Amino acid sequence: MKGMKFSFLCKKKPQPTGKRVAIVGAGPAGLTAAGYLVCKGHNVDIYDKMPEPGGLMLFVIPEFRIPVERVRLGAKELEEEFEVTYYPRTKVMEGERLDEGDEFYERVVGLDELRENYDAVLIATGIWNVRRIGIPGDDLEGILSPLELLFWIKGHELGYVPGEKVPDLKGKKVGIIGAGLTAVDTAFECSRLGADVEIFYRRTIREAPAGAYEINILRNRGVKWFELVTPKRVIGENGRVKAIELLRTRLGKPDETGRRRPIPIEGSEFQVPVDYLVFAIGMVSTPPVNGEYLATDNRGRIVVDGRHMTSVEGIFAAGDVVNGPTKVGRAIKDGLYAAVSIDEWLRGEL
Amino acid sequence: MERKYLYLDYLTCIGCETCETVCDFIHGGNPHIRIYVTENKQYLPINCKHCDDAPCLRVCPTNAIYRDEDGAVRIAENRCIGCLACLQVCPYGVPFYSLKVKAITKCDMCAERREEGLEPACAEMCPAEAIQYGPLEMVLELVNERRAKNIPEHRREITKEELRKSVSSGYVLL
Repeated sequence: MKGMKFSFLCKKKPQPTGKRVAIVGAGPAGLTAAGYLVCKGHNVDIYDKMPEPGGLMLFVIPEFRIPVERVRLGAKELEEEFEVTYYPRTKVMEGERLDEGDEFYERVVGLDELRENYDAVLIATGIWNVRRIGIPGDDLEGILSPLELLFWIKGHELGYVPGEKVPDLKGKKVGIIGAGLTAVDTAFECSRLGADVEIFYRRTIREAPAGAYEINILRNRGVKWFELVTPKRVIGENGRVKAIELLRTRLGKPDETGRRRPIPIEGSEFQVPVDYLVFAIGMVSTPPVNGEYLATDNRGRIVVDGRHMTSVEGIFAAGDVVNGPTKVGRAIKDGLYAAVSIDEWLRGEL
Repeated sequence: MERKYLYLDYLTCIGCETCETVCDFIHGGNPHIRIYVTENKQYLPINCKHCDDAPCLRVCPTNAIYRDEDGAVRIAENRCIGCLACLQVCPYGVPFYSLKVKAITKCDMCAERREEGLEPACAEMCPAEAIQYGPLEMVLELVNERRAKNIPEHRREITKEELRKSVSSGYVLL
């Protein structure tokens, strides 16, 4: 197998420019930006809190979608052929915040320190937090974050997470709320580990972001699909999840996303017993700042201008941390165009 | 030179749009590989297949379509008269008439990159390894290898009833 060729624009390292760029986050956006910048002769260092580069592609997206080897070899090529230096297990942060995957970092570096030590900084830290649902009982034991669950499973296969950390799902009933790609991937992995999986979604299969194609593959594997239901509360016993109480919904007028809004039907409550619950209802951007250091919007995403530059001169941002959850290809696109801006800015043309 | 193939495996494609992104990037915003989405949200990247028996090549009245030494079906822009005969016969609807270039434009298997000794960008960057480029034997082997890798990932114990249903309906249980 060959690795992803992040430096697809050139064959070998050109004459060095002497400029140094720090990239925060070694996911698709960060690695692709690195590939572009090394092809322009800049020196690139990449900081990431996880033990090896690859981001969600490596630690969260299941192996059958993106092979680990493909990402690993790609990251290695940048290191060996283009002298990119990785600083793994290093979290870059101004202020404090708990994110998922934080158990892996061993060092913290300030974002401002990077700005002072490098000619330019690119933030590509992605989406390492999950949206909380905020219903009674959502903090019971047995409620798993989809991100955590997926990277425990994958991290264990990669040798970073001890086996006892991965819940034994064989024969267990796992309820998943949501119908996006994260929900679908979680369902695939739980079903592969022998769980009895049920997916609950508040609209119908037609509106499901993951699409009927993926959901029907799951149904053929024995995953149960419930549509037009919304969670009301989680029922526990001795502090542990026992069941989920759902309300039936009907679809009303289209909302701002163009999909028909689900309206809960009063008095339609019913309960479904579960051993584990996963709320896969969206992921949240995790910029390396908490506070006033640079501008973020009300959803925590970094605000950038047309040059991909943040409110701080010399610090750029790209990928899911700017756009919210998208797709690998869109993160790559953003990383590429941000890298073009950085190169022009470093040459004084922007 | 040996004929090269650029093969897209829909069974391993994850619809992430990376191929379209990098193609768009190197072609100034006009990607030659485009992702189409079916109503049930299956993602299908479509580009020129560089068919062995290419109908476009046979039908072009001005011989503006030719095959280069790597086997890519190419357009000689100066000979194209914009009659769209190639579009009529292409089973994939690939040829795109550019009003700016005044000729058909389409995937040329990254001709400029090949001259520099690089390979098609979509194949180099696809994270899922769904795009393979090379001589036929190599491509076929890589596709088989990649698909085989997914089998254990998908495998789980299925009940007798499920197996019976799967065999009788001809529907493959992933």
